Amino acid sequence: MSSPSSSGGDGAGAGVEVRELSHRYERPEGRLTVLDGVGFSIPPGGHVALTGASGAGKSTLLSILGGLEPPQSGHVHVGGHDLDGLDGDELASYRRRTVGFVFQHFGLLETLTASENVEVALTLAGTRARARRARAAELLAAVGLADRAGHRPGALSGGERQRVAIARALANRSRLVLADEPTGNLDERAATRVLDLLEQLPAERGCTLVVVTHDRSVAERAPARLHLDEGRLSGP
Amino acid sequence: MSWADAVLFAARGLLRRRGRAVLTLVAVALAAALLTALLMITETGRSRVLDQLSRGGPLAGVRVDAAVDDGVLRRVRALPDVAAVVPIATTRLLVATDGVVVADVDEGGDGAGAAPAVRPGADVEGIVGVDIAQADNLPITVLAGRLPEPGTTTEVAVDQRWLERRGVAQGEEAGVVGTEVVLGAVREGAGGRRDSLAARWTRALVVGAVAQEAAAGGVLAPLPVVLDARAWAAGGAGPAGEDPLTGGGGEGGPYEGLFVVAQGLNQVDEARQQLSALGLPNEAPENLIASVLRYLHVVELVLASIGVIALVIAALGIANALLAAVRERRREIGVLKAIGARDRDVRRVFLFEAVALGLGGGLAGTVLGWAIARGVGAVVNDYLSAQGLAGVTVALPPAVLGGGILGSAVLALLAGTVPAVRAARLPARDAMGEG
Repeated sequence: MSSPSSSGGDGAGAGVEVRELSHRYERPEGRLTVLDGVGFSIPPGGHVALTGASGAGKSTLLSILGGLEPPQSGHVHVGGHDLDGLDGDELASYRRRTVGFVFQHFGLLETLTASENVEVALTLAGTRARARRARAAELLAAVGLADRAGHRPGALSGGERQRVAIARALANRSRLVLADEPTGNLDERAATRVLDLLEQLPAERGCTLVVVTHDRSVAERAPARLHLDEGRLSGP
Repeated sequence: MSWADAVLFAARGLLRRRGRAVLTLVAVALAAALLTALLMITETGRSRVLDQLSRGGPLAGVRVDAAVDDGVLRRVRALPDVAAVVPIATTRLLVATDGVVVADVDEGGDGAGAAPAVRPGADVEGIVGVDIAQADNLPITVLAGRLPEPGTTTEVAVDQRWLERRGVAQGEEAGVVGTEVVLGAVREGAGGRRDSLAARWTRALVVGAVAQEAAAGGVLAPLPVVLDARAWAAGGAGPAGEDPLTGGGGEGGPYEGLFVVAQGLNQVDEARQQLSALGLPNEAPENLIASVLRYLHVVELVLASIGVIALVIAALGIANALLAAVRERRREIGVLKAIGARDRDVRRVFLFEAVALGLGGGLAGTVLGWAIARGVGAVVNDYLSAQGLAGVTVALPPAVLGGGILGSAVLALLAGTVPAVRAARLPARDAMGEG
């Protein structure tokens, strides 16, 4: 990724501290515990890979860290926010200002161009139109998609879509980037480029990066790894 | 998210499923068209019926049949429930239609008695004098041509009695417009002789044919025509102020009656009581009109209900389409929330989608309904014309225009509430997708 020094203002990464986090789902067949007393911490600007088998609780943990759902019990502290005390609008504000998501399915709006997809995040933050366009152009250039800004997702390759998603995740100068299987739908070459982009974020933008993956090769690229097994941390 | 951004999102959402949006829009448009057309046709029929009942005059008209002077006229005008008062003067004049102007003014001296000699082609005709400037407040309908100019003494209109007597068929009234008549006021006792008659002849142009119920007569003229003729006739040696053709008109005041317009249909009773208190006998067709209005209102309600039911069905279509959209866009909504959308942002987008469908459908439907009503009106007018009857004017009342568009939008908004709330309540975690 080219240096975004011109963009400036990308804040320091958000430190993450999780203590005794438990989470359960009520299912017709009974209560399902997906996280059971999980605790860990990530320093600001850290890069952690979160691994585990399907159903181990990776996505739930990512959801809680990203403010998609509040923690049921335990304590989650991200960049100065105690997530266990936030209501709906406060969680939305937290997601808007602090977190950037990169999904396996890209999560791009099909009716919008690449540039407009990046602008959506800025729109929700109340950024004015001219500033939105400038920021989107800068970020798309940073992920190597300046010439694809006017294309809709349907006209982009998987790797390009994921790079648009990364640009969108950075739009509001997110301090914590959460990537859920970011290479799950990509070929090896595209996956490598996306991972290269993501892994530069802590260094170049100071973001804290959490990558959920079941791909060992992806996980091994991270300096720190957490392994979830049936709702409990079993790794380093 | 700003309102403008929400509108933009809503538009994108609709464009995403163009076919569904178009079908929903068409359903709303058809329902709005049905409602608009029914209301327009009902309103036209209502106007037509009331017009016939009131003979073209104001619905809240009260007729006063009594001689009235200017003092009484002022008191009637000051009554609290009276909106307008039109004095009516009548007289009888000789009217020649053969175009021959009778130059001599002295017809008497042959000892034939008081009856005026009538030249061939001249009839004694009742002349109704009214303030033409207030014709809108009188039961007068122009069948052909126009009304005389207010204040002129050389223009008259002829009415249905004149036309019937001369065998002018319905639809051929225009044939009398532009013809000339000569009006003769008759004075008794010219030159101091009680057995002589004198006539003053005035040429006038027939500028229109009317149907009028202001007073009995065959010719409608500006008020000064009647007042001048009577004044001239009264200048003779007969009984004081007596018109030799009518034998009256000189006592009680210059007007033979009034046409009083109450402030509204609901004030007709009060206005009549106030007129009676002044000693003025009066009559009004308001009871019949009120009854007919009630029946027409029932018809309006029934037809409007049919249109509203159609609109409600269309609104359910909107709700169904949006619920389907919510199901399909579950992950998209989750993504929006994941990048910071609040519940109310999502709710707003879906409500805008609903309103856009309602507003667009309502607008298109109202235009379509207007066109349908105009088409029906054209067919009806062809039929009425073939029957020798006056046609109808199909108008789009502002209330129907506004109601059709805004009503559709409001119904759509209500229909969109459930899907919008459901979308807003979707968990942000849906952004993660299955698994």
